[in-house]
Amino acid sequence: MTRQHQSWFRHSLAASGWVYLALGYGLLMLPILTLVIFSFETSRFPTLPWTGWTWDWYRQLLSDGKLLQALRASLLVSPLAAGIATILGFFAAYALNRFEFPGKKVLTILLIVPILVPPLILGVAFLGLLSRINLQGHLHSILLCHVVILIPTAIALITLRLMQMPKAIEQAAWNLGATEWQALWRVVLPWSIPGIAGAFLLAFTFSFDEFVIAWFVSGFEPTLPVSIYNFLGSNLSPALNAVGTIVFLMSVLLLIGVELLLLPMLLAQPTKSEP
Amino acid sequence: MSHASIAQTTAQATAQTTLASPIPMTTTDLELCQIAKCYGQQQVLHDINLSVKAGEFVAIMGPSGCGKTTLLNIIAGLEGISTGAVRLRGQDITRLPVNQRNTPMVWQHFALFPHLTVRQNIAFGLTLGKHRQREIAPKVQTMAGLMHLEELLDRRISQLSGGQKQRVAIARALITEPPILLLDEPMSALDPHLRVRMQGELKRLQQTLGIAFIYVTHNQNEAFSMADRIVVMNQGRIEQVGTPAEIYTQPATHFVAEFVGNNNLFDGTVIEVNATTVTVQCPQGKIYAHSEQNHAPGDRVTAVVPADRLRLTPQPVPAQNIIQASLRGCEFMGSQVIYWLETATGYEVKVMRQEAFSDSLALPINAELYLSWETEDTMLLGERG
Repeated sequence: MTRQHQSWFRHSLAASGWVYLALGYGLLMLPILTLVIFSFETSRFPTLPWTGWTWDWYRQLLSDGKLLQALRASLLVSPLAAGIATILGFFAAYALNRFEFPGKKVLTILLIVPILVPPLILGVAFLGLLSRINLQGHLHSILLCHVVILIPTAIALITLRLMQMPKAIEQAAWNLGATEWQALWRVVLPWSIPGIAGAFLLAFTFSFDEFVIAWFVSGFEPTLPVSIYNFLGSNLSPALNAVGTIVFLMSVLLLIGVELLLLPMLLAQPTKSEP
Repeated sequence: MSHASIAQTTAQATAQTTLASPIPMTTTDLELCQIAKCYGQQQVLHDINLSVKAGEFVAIMGPSGCGKTTLLNIIAGLEGISTGAVRLRGQDITRLPVNQRNTPMVWQHFALFPHLTVRQNIAFGLTLGKHRQREIAPKVQTMAGLMHLEELLDRRISQLSGGQKQRVAIARALITEPPILLLDEPMSALDPHLRVRMQGELKRLQQTLGIAFIYVTHNQNEAFSMADRIVVMNQGRIEQVGTPAEIYTQPATHFVAEFVGNNNLFDGTVIEVNATTVTVQCPQGKIYAHSEQNHAPGDRVTAVVPADRLRLTPQPVPAQNIIQASLRGCEFMGSQVIYWLETATGYEVKVMRQEAFSDSLALPINAELYLSWETEDTMLLGERG
């Protein structure tokens, strides 16, 4: 092959790579793009030709009490569940990282189990349990269930961050006169912030999108995904596209936050602590 | 001069005097009494007894795993002990929690708080208790002055070089005006050229402050250049405690004689004792040694000859001890030359000479040479334990 042929071959290979990449991303993004575009379409039906731009569906959404109330419920449950799970996760991660105790392995495995159980089964189980103790059918039911399923992720992420902390840093704080709590508050906590913030955002996103368990236990106070599902059952309205766009926008913002916080942490090398 | 700066200078001056007031050398600052430490079945420290005088620079030296860092952690209260007692300025601190001891430590990798500035790192020990903000600032300023950190106070830790980090770690440890400073291999994370300079600075600092420094290291040069006394440890036991000169010229055990590194050891049997001169039959030949101890013919002993007491000549010279050996190699360390020789029995001998570079080049490899030394330069150790 001549040199010209070679360079032509390399260029076409590179070009086809880019095309492939563009196709992949295009296919991923197309449904979302359609959703966003048709949330502004005047026609009731998401079909071409394009009939015109409108904010009507967003306005209709704002006047529909049910979906807005569900959004409010979601905005109450998700940060609360994420917050509680993150706080509990931090303390659990700290203890698991610092102490050796009998049964530590078993406990660690037990903490991971909820991730492995399919949500459908968890949902049924949660409903069964909560209805026996009369806690079913309210917002706090969802809150409780979400806290339970979010804790393992929070522990895993915060443990990852704590494992990168040299043991000497905490020891140095004690050595300079800090009590256990002072050292925890002034040295360990600041060190863990990227892990804590990442865990919170991930938990928030998960809770905000979670449908199956919420559907089982929510009763008359649904969160947004449950409400959207109910809405779908009764009528097909472009207002759903508007809801989808809003939810998508929120998720994107949250995920960007997660990536900014978590990526540097995941890429960092865990430091070996001194014996 | 403005009012504020006058006030600051006065504050600095008073703080300086409190920092620099030396305590008479007679008082004992730290006492370790019969300390033993076990991890389950494994005993890592055996019967450790040591007392450190006020204002003394003590280096604890030994190979890795000898228990020297464990001992330092025990003094700091980071690890408990199985039996024994730790006393600081007469007070029994064996059961005192780590944060109430005021035995600050300088860590091997400095263990600075990465989320705080240099100023906040130095002030950390003062911000935990009852100190008021306006008392803290001048103290931090004084300490920064002492450690040449004034320009760096508002920097982040990640913006510092290794040497600067070490100075911050020392400043942070000294801010509470402790009776003692613990240092755990603080030079190992530094560049070699910086290490030598910091040795001088650290020694000067210790003399200025007049407090005891306990310095853990596996590096002989550091121990010998800074310490008033050296503690040599091996396998959880103290092998010898003494001044650098004592450790160097009178090693108490085989381990010390070998670990200190500049000694040649010849194993043999005593064949004749004449006053303080002992004749030892070694595979390399007869060696005459000086000993104040009672030896009898038939005793198994080891003759210890420092590498810098050996002469190296192409022809035999009149000397009490003389061994033939062939040159296997030489190493140049500044003005010092280290020769490696091998005796007819295959035993390796190390010779250290102050020599001009050109003289040493005159000796070809595998040259047959004569090693000679005096009886007074030969010490005797009992049988290997």
